[in-house]
Amino acid sequence: MACDRIQNDGMRYLDGEMGEEERAAFEKHLEQCSDCRTVLNEFGKLRAFTGRIKMRDPTDEFWEGYWKSLYRRLERRVAWIFVIAGAALFLGYELYQVIRHFGEITFEKFALVVLFVGFVLLLISVIRERVHHYKVDKYKDIER
Amino acid sequence: MTELEQTVDIDRQTLAAWKRGSVRAFETIVKATMQRAFAVALGIVGNVEDAWDLSQECYMAAHKARRSFDIDRPFFPWFYRILRNRCLNFIERRKRRREVSLDVLVERADRTVSPEIALIRREQKETLWKVLFTLSPEHREIIVLREFQELSYQEISSMLDIAEGTVMSRLYYARKALHDALKKAGVEPFGEGG
Repeated sequence: MACDRIQNDGMRYLDGEMGEEERAAFEKHLEQCSDCRTVLNEFGKLRAFTGRIKMRDPTDEFWEGYWKSLYRRLERRVAWIFVIAGAALFLGYELYQVIRHFGEITFEKFALVVLFVGFVLLLISVIRERVHHYKVDKYKDIER
Repeated sequence: MTELEQTVDIDRQTLAAWKRGSVRAFETIVKATMQRAFAVALGIVGNVEDAWDLSQECYMAAHKARRSFDIDRPFFPWFYRILRNRCLNFIERRKRRREVSLDVLVERADRTVSPEIALIRREQKETLWKVLFTLSPEHREIIVLREFQELSYQEISSMLDIAEGTVMSRLYYARKALHDALKKAGVEPFGEGG
């Protein structure tokens, strides 16, 4: 690329992003600059090729299903929040009762402790995964 | 009015209602933007199933993060950043690359052509789509936004959060890469077949 006008002016000319005056001035430049003419000629053919093509529009059924599917995800997320909150409350309360009335180790008490340990391990695992994901996410500093 | 403005112009009232947690407002926003969101995701990941999943995950993430959204700013550029980051992360991390979906590109004008030309064009479209996925994600993204979504430089600049000058230079290098890759794949001269 010998002429440095091709990157900015050339692209704007090709994409119709120039005003009339600017366009006329760039056309004068084109008459004298064979580098720009060559690149624009090639890019013009490419543009004509891609301009003929578009991405297929999915069917109406596809779009109807899109929102429905998203709504179901929303519902499931709310349901999971309730399930987890309920389970945490229940386990916490039962554990409190076990500690309060600690005596003979029964099957129920044992099962409850196992369930509680499993719940805590799952929680730790999710938190660890989130932290790892955050650390390796190279786009995390991009403002949203 | 550009296609982007037509499809993603969401009024302030709807955005405010969404921020307060209205699912109805969320539905309005999703329905106004889902086609573009899906197309953008498809343009980055190349596969219909992945684009569906990722774009939906991003709507869920946006819904969760809605309190941080400024209703005085347009929705789609904000959402686009979430979508873009997730798609780029996805293609970097995926262990097994799914095949890119074929039959994604179609002719804009439905003109009647001979079966021979139709066949050439079909092959060219498939090659173009495949070749796009040999480019870097940044190059592919800007080609999709400009050529297939027909966004203006100003819209691309706002969505990618880069200066218009950077849009132009990135577009130049992306086109050059696409041009060279198509040439290498034997799709030349462009536009052959009618």
